[in-house]
Amino acid sequence: MNAFFRKLGWLFKRRLKEAELQEEIQFHLDEEAEEREASGVPPAEAHFAARRELGNIARMQEDTRDAWGWTLLEQLLQDLRYAGRTMGSNKTFTVLAIVSLALGIGANTAIFSFMDSILLRSLPVSDPKSLVLLEWHTEKRTLHGTNRHDDSYTDPNGGFVGGFFSYPAFEQLRNGGAVFASVFGYQGAGRLHVLAAGQAGFANGEFVSGEYFTGLGIAPFAGRLLAPDDDQAGSEAVAVVSYELSERRFGGPESAVGQSVRINNVPFTIVGVSPPEFFGADPNAVPDVYVPMHTNLILERTDTRFPIASRYQNPAYDWVVIMARLKPGVTAPVAQAILASEFLNWERSVDTNRPAEDLPKLIVREGAGGLGGLRRTYSKPLYILQALVGLILTIACANIANLLLARAAARKREMAVRLSIGAGRFRVIRQLLTECVVLAFLGGLFGVGLATWGIRFLTTLMANGRENFTFRAELNWHVLIVVAFLSLLTGVLFGLTPALQSTRGDLFHALKEVRTGSGRGSLRRLSLSRILMGSQIAITLLMLVAAGLFIRTLSNLQSIQVGFNPERLLTFRLNAPQAGLKDPEVVGLYNDLQTRFAALPGVRAVSMSDAPLIGRGTSMWPVRLAGGPMESVLVLTIGAGFFANMQIPILLGRDINEHDRAGAPLVAVVNEAFVKANLLGKSPLGERFVVPLTCATCEIEIVGISANASYGSLKEPGAPIIYLPFAQPAIRAVEEIVYEIRTAGNPLGVINAVRDIVNRTDSRLALSEVATQSDLIDRQISQQITFSRLCTAFALLALTIACVGLYATMSYNVIRRTREIGIRMALGAQRTQVVRMVLREVAVLVAAAMCIGVPAALFATKVIESFLFGLKHDDPLTLSIAVLTLVGAAVLASYLPARGASRIDPMRALRHE
Amino acid sequence: MTKQRDRIEFLQGTLDILILRSLQRGPAHGHALAKHIKQTSEEVFHVETGSLYPALHRLEAKGWIAATWDQSDKGKRARFYRLTPSGRKQLAVEQSKWESFSRAMSLILKTTDQEG
Repeated sequence: MNAFFRKLGWLFKRRLKEAELQEEIQFHLDEEAEEREASGVPPAEAHFAARRELGNIARMQEDTRDAWGWTLLEQLLQDLRYAGRTMGSNKTFTVLAIVSLALGIGANTAIFSFMDSILLRSLPVSDPKSLVLLEWHTEKRTLHGTNRHDDSYTDPNGGFVGGFFSYPAFEQLRNGGAVFASVFGYQGAGRLHVLAAGQAGFANGEFVSGEYFTGLGIAPFAGRLLAPDDDQAGSEAVAVVSYELSERRFGGPESAVGQSVRINNVPFTIVGVSPPEFFGADPNAVPDVYVPMHTNLILERTDTRFPIASRYQNPAYDWVVIMARLKPGVTAPVAQAILASEFLNWERSVDTNRPAEDLPKLIVREGAGGLGGLRRTYSKPLYILQALVGLILTIACANIANLLLARAAARKREMAVRLSIGAGRFRVIRQLLTECVVLAFLGGLFGVGLATWGIRFLTTLMANGRENFTFRAELNWHVLIVVAFLSLLTGVLFGLTPALQSTRGDLFHALKEVRTGSGRGSLRRLSLSRILMGSQIAITLLMLVAAGLFIRTLSNLQSIQVGFNPERLLTFRLNAPQAGLKDPEVVGLYNDLQTRFAALPGVRAVSMSDAPLIGRGTSMWPVRLAGGPMESVLVLTIGAGFFANMQIPILLGRDINEHDRAGAPLVAVVNEAFVKANLLGKSPLGERFVVPLTCATCEIEIVGISANASYGSLKEPGAPIIYLPFAQPAIRAVEEIVYEIRTAGNPLGVINAVRDIVNRTDSRLALSEVATQSDLIDRQISQQITFSRLCTAFALLALTIACVGLYATMSYNVIRRTREIGIRMALGAQRTQVVRMVLREVAVLVAAAMCIGVPAALFATKVIESFLFGLKHDDPLTLSIAVLTLVGAAVLASYLPARGASRIDPMRALRHE
Repeated sequence: MTKQRDRIEFLQGTLDILILRSLQRGPAHGHALAKHIKQTSEEVFHVETGSLYPALHRLEAKGWIAATWDQSDKGKRARFYRLTPSGRKQLAVEQSKWESFSRAMSLILKTTDQEG
């Protein structure tokens, strides 16, 4: 302990100790010399002998400093100081290196924080590891039912995985007391209309069973959370709101508790606020309002033929997502082994119709991360992006390594001098590496700065205008540790080879080597640097090809003919029944609003339908043509003037107009595809069909045939569609409506006027999902848009880094060869010949890189085949454009050094030595 | 690297004892110590003068010897080292260790002689 404090004291008196040591050694030398002189040796020789007897003084001083302790720390400080000096004296190199590293590390950090948030993070609940998710597996897709947390998917290993259960199944599993400490269920409630203090608005709702909050282990931020007693048919209607909603709508969590609100026009009391970090159990959908599951009896409006109450008894209708918390010591596979056969027996007892082998098999899956929908959607794109940014960082590293190699060759003499006066090789390498790690950490530091910006950019890109995009990635310590590690790794990666190179080999030769450097070592260095350059170019080609493929995919998607005019079209939703209006007045209100909107300045025309043509789901109904079989057909209910407004031509008959209302004869317009599929050879006008599900006796007459137009998703139009007037509710009850407002100028310019009209008509009404039709179309292809933008950015980045590297290496080569070029020119070489000579070197390099890059690109792009549209991964046009771009950029980058070489003055070059 | 360290380690032990033993006679500066050690042990060990100073500073760090600046007999400023109480103790420990070691060694060597 004493020794430690003594050394600590010395640490702060370093300078004094140095001076003392100096004096001590000097004293020794003087004494020794004096003694030798006294014995008759001449003074000069005596001094020399004294020195020689003491040996390598620098080495001895180092050993003594070792004895003082703190050598590592001190050397580190020395190295850092030295690194600072070297970096300062090579400003261009330093800036280039730090910028390219910052871009590389920044891009990696940004993508990794998304990976971390989406793929790796656990739910912010206590002990997430003991949570499990219940699913079932069948060979055939046999899903009956619905849940807004769409967590069913095709199993990549075959068959189909269902993510939700019937209520009786939920009750059955709730008794799985042997393995589960608690079992809870939930169902997405969609957008709820929330009226609080006279203000109407929408909020994402979640129906949760009474054990939801206790099962997840969530403590209330204010008030209380929901309990099993709340989740009973007929209990007092209570709700829990998220922290975020309480801030936004209720003046903070404290004042939210106890407030009365109307949800979908039903009175509720807010009893508590969930904590800010809690986002529900599905990372893809963040609820604002939690209501007991049984309140769907009063909140959901559906057809009277399928009452909600029946869902609680029907074992064949699946709608509850189930999660559970395992008892201590039980694992998911154990729970599955115990419960699976029990569950199968139960299913057999309730579902006697299905053969036993078709019955769903229970799966108990680890549920620490919550529902997996988000992970399934984004895992592949994220892995691809991570691979791309990884490649960028590789290019950046290769680049810096290359520049360092050039410098290492220049410093070979310096290193040899150092080694020969007693520096250990390890010590020199450590010092060179310190320089690199400092560079890398600076790059990492700026990279984190870039990443915070990049994350914001990526989030906007991913959300792509979706107003309920609640997903947030962030930089946490988790990510920062990875960044630090990454920086260290890159530093060592690009620093080690040059450091080894410059300290290797024969000191004697290195010291004698002429400055222009063309010794044995430089040949190997050159080939290594060529390999680095070549692989950079090959990687860049790969990224250019990927970017090209995504750009072409996007342009293919954007040039799809949708069959209607989506330009300057504002769309938004209005739901009068949800806000409390009664059925007979709803149609009148909708029509009235249409007239008022149409009268606004800047509005050309207004129409209505139950969904926008592109941007939301579709309805598919079974219909039966007179004398024909049952067919499933897409159905869209529309208002008067729809076809005219959407600019879909009516080929035969008439448009739907204002006379097609309740009481008038039932009519429909069908599209060409419908005629082709069902009425070929007949005269379609006047043909009749029924919709047996809602009214088996109501015959609907076809009065018009329209051209084909897309409906639902962005596909080439061609599916049969029936258009029904929404004002004839015998077939379909009027619910929410979507307005399409065609404007003369920017469609978003009329929003305020539109809101104003809606507000004045009925303050309970609120607009939602306001967007232009073009934006809705863009959202359909948001993944492709994101990909093509990111890939283009990444490819340009890679191209820039590679070109900078090429430029720097070629410039260095030209300087190195100044003498040789000078001789050539003195012997009569022309300037153009010199330019050609340098360019030829680049051409060989690029050609060699292509030989590797093209097959690699063809092979690697197979991975992204599933993201492409309208072209194959080996699209020849894309490949040739990428190759041409790369060759062009390479020639451009090396032209400047080549021109520099041609300007060399032979006289000067020869004196250069 | 390691090879070098082994050698120093071996030397360290012996050199440390030599220094401590020399200082038992009274305080001395580096040059005097070097001379003394050389005179008393040159036939047995080859002590590099260069390794003397690191060893002195190492022993000082351990607290076995202490250093003060004083006038040399020629009137110049020199760094004088002297044994501290803990150094004295250490020397005794090392001495007895060496003695038992050499006793054991000679015992072994004798036995082998008889057998041979």
